[in-house]
Amino acid sequence: MTTHDTTETTESAVDPSEEGIDWQTKLRYFLNSDFVRSSPYWGIPFIIMGIAVYGGIGYNLAISFTDYAGIARPSFSSLDLEMYRRALADESFRAAAFQNFVLLVGFTSISLGLGLFLAVLLDYGIRYKETIQTIYLLPMALSFVVTAQLWLWMYSPGNGVLNIFVTALGFDSIDWLGDPRIALAAVIFALVWQFSGYAMVVFLAGLQSLPDDQFEAAKVDGASTTKTYVRIIVPQLKQASVGAAVVLMLFALKAFDFLYAITGNYRPPNGTDILATLMVREAFQYGQWAYGAAIATMLLLLSLAVIAPYLIFQHRQGSL
Amino acid sequence: MGRIQFDHLTKQFGETVAVEDLTFDIEDSEFLVLVGPSGCGKSTTLRMLAGLETPTSGDLYIADEHMNYRVPQNRDIAMVFQDYALYPHMTIRENIRFGLEEEPGYTEAERDERVEDVAETLGIDDLLDRKPGELSGGQQQRVALGRAIVRDPEVFLMDEPLANLDAKLRTQMRTELQRLQEELDVTTVYVTHNQTEAMTMGDRIAVLNDGRLQQVGEPLELYHAPENQFVAGFIGEPMMNFLHGDRSEEGFVGEYIEYPFDERLERAVGDAADLVLGIRPEAIDVRHAGESASQSLGPHEFRMTVTVTETHGDQNVVTLTHAEDEASHDTIRAVTDGMHIVNAGESVIVTVEPDAVHVFDGETGEALCNRRLETARELTI
Repeated sequence: MTTHDTTETTESAVDPSEEGIDWQTKLRYFLNSDFVRSSPYWGIPFIIMGIAVYGGIGYNLAISFTDYAGIARPSFSSLDLEMYRRALADESFRAAAFQNFVLLVGFTSISLGLGLFLAVLLDYGIRYKETIQTIYLLPMALSFVVTAQLWLWMYSPGNGVLNIFVTALGFDSIDWLGDPRIALAAVIFALVWQFSGYAMVVFLAGLQSLPDDQFEAAKVDGASTTKTYVRIIVPQLKQASVGAAVVLMLFALKAFDFLYAITGNYRPPNGTDILATLMVREAFQYGQWAYGAAIATMLLLLSLAVIAPYLIFQHRQGSL
Repeated sequence: MGRIQFDHLTKQFGETVAVEDLTFDIEDSEFLVLVGPSGCGKSTTLRMLAGLETPTSGDLYIADEHMNYRVPQNRDIAMVFQDYALYPHMTIRENIRFGLEEEPGYTEAERDERVEDVAETLGIDDLLDRKPGELSGGQQQRVALGRAIVRDPEVFLMDEPLANLDAKLRTQMRTELQRLQEELDVTTVYVTHNQTEAMTMGDRIAVLNDGRLQQVGEPLELYHAPENQFVAGFIGEPMMNFLHGDRSEEGFVGEYIEYPFDERLERAVGDAADLVLGIRPEAIDVRHAGESASQSLGPHEFRMTVTVTETHGDQNVVTLTHAEDEASHDTIRAVTDGMHIVNAGESVIVTVEPDAVHVFDGETGEALCNRRLETARELTI
């Protein structure tokens, strides 16, 4: 009898899914599973991320459906899309969205183009690469606030460096940041100054990872230098360009600190208002919390729209 | 047409001399193999031919035209790279077509047709719309060849093109390359460090060492009549055995053996004092010593001990040391018939015929005397 019993237990231990196992055995199997045993490692970041990031996003979304404003507590009794309707009807929102779009496209494409150009020049054979690389990357080490202050001086209508050149050439001095027609261009230029070095380093890394014999094969094939770069080399930088473009576009969407630092208050120079500045101004200057939250939600959707193609691209490449 | 001439060609990188005073000709439609150990300057020579490096001094002619400063595309050459250098973002069709785009004298339709033709010759016509990453190593190798062939150049330059293939595929591609070269009848310069490739493929072989040309000649000429000890040691597998020693009254005295010279050797060696005896492994006859250990040996016979036997099936490679000092690292290797088995530890009698002996000058490495080849034997080789 005893022998028979032992055999039975062994059998049930082999197959836990079999009916008739007591709950203690099930619990033991559960506690021993990979899921439970690995939980301390993924669980902590999961909880922190869940509360701090996704909780925040969720709360922001909830606020955006209310009429929360001023110092009263938010009321969640009536939730609607009124704030979104208001935003889309608002002239200043549409202007900010348009300027944001111009900033996004202009800043990203110019930075990428300039970065690629510099990277190709460096790769083509200027020696002492390391030093030069650092020179171009140096602006990246500065904070937005420093860049803003620096360019504020450069752009100064009275005695800024740029105006000294302009007047020396015999033109009238220009109010770079004060003129709504050129303020956005001036902001884009300053941001490009800061970020083209980053794009260059990304492209240069891509270029240097290409084997020399690609260049040599093209040379033997009779391709000119220009043709080699256009047809052979640059197409192979697709991965690098997509990565750099996503980073730059996200910066363009949330270039709040730069614009804030230029004037030191919530209103950036005329003609340079973007969604991020509008959002902060509505929320923290005017106390329009729900309205600000609605703009923030739309900004988030835009960011996701920027990232989505990148993720799809990565997925197709099999690296996601 | 595709004749190549090197005239005192030298290339220096800073202080380092990569190629020194290279002078020789490559005939039209010849298959020449440049061979040597790594760093011997063979790749640099090829790259100078391709126009990827500029010679420091000397002259380079292709088809009787001075080439030193001409850009690659105007040299009418095509090159196959060791790592193939296929353009990963282009299809096979675009890869092969790319080199043709700069060639004048073709219409678009003719270019397309030419790509198809070449792909068919190489048996890759069904791969034309794939990308290089989807192809196996052997297929990529064919594409690289196609890219060279499509331009119909005067000269093919190949930089260790088979180095990345597995052994079986390499043998197969070796034959195919030879067939192609014969068919296309294009002067080919082929760089390799693999002496088997050199021996089997080349019409002629140029051996380089330390940037200097050691010898140019037909494979069997290099094998049987090397001009110096380096060539003798580099060509042939297993390697030629070298015994260091001095000149004596009768002939050669080494650490363990005395080898009396016959009249031919005597005359050739003259009064050189420092000698190196060179013996090909297959020129050594190994026979069992038998029972009578004290049997008298001929002047060219030695008693030795087998330390290792490697069986290859068709032949055995036997490593031998001197009978009295088995711990010595001074070993010689012999090749015996596949059915002739000698076991490790066995005592054997080794015969080396004087006709099969090479003698080199110990100081300069220069060949004083090479093995004798009977005419009848020469024909059957």
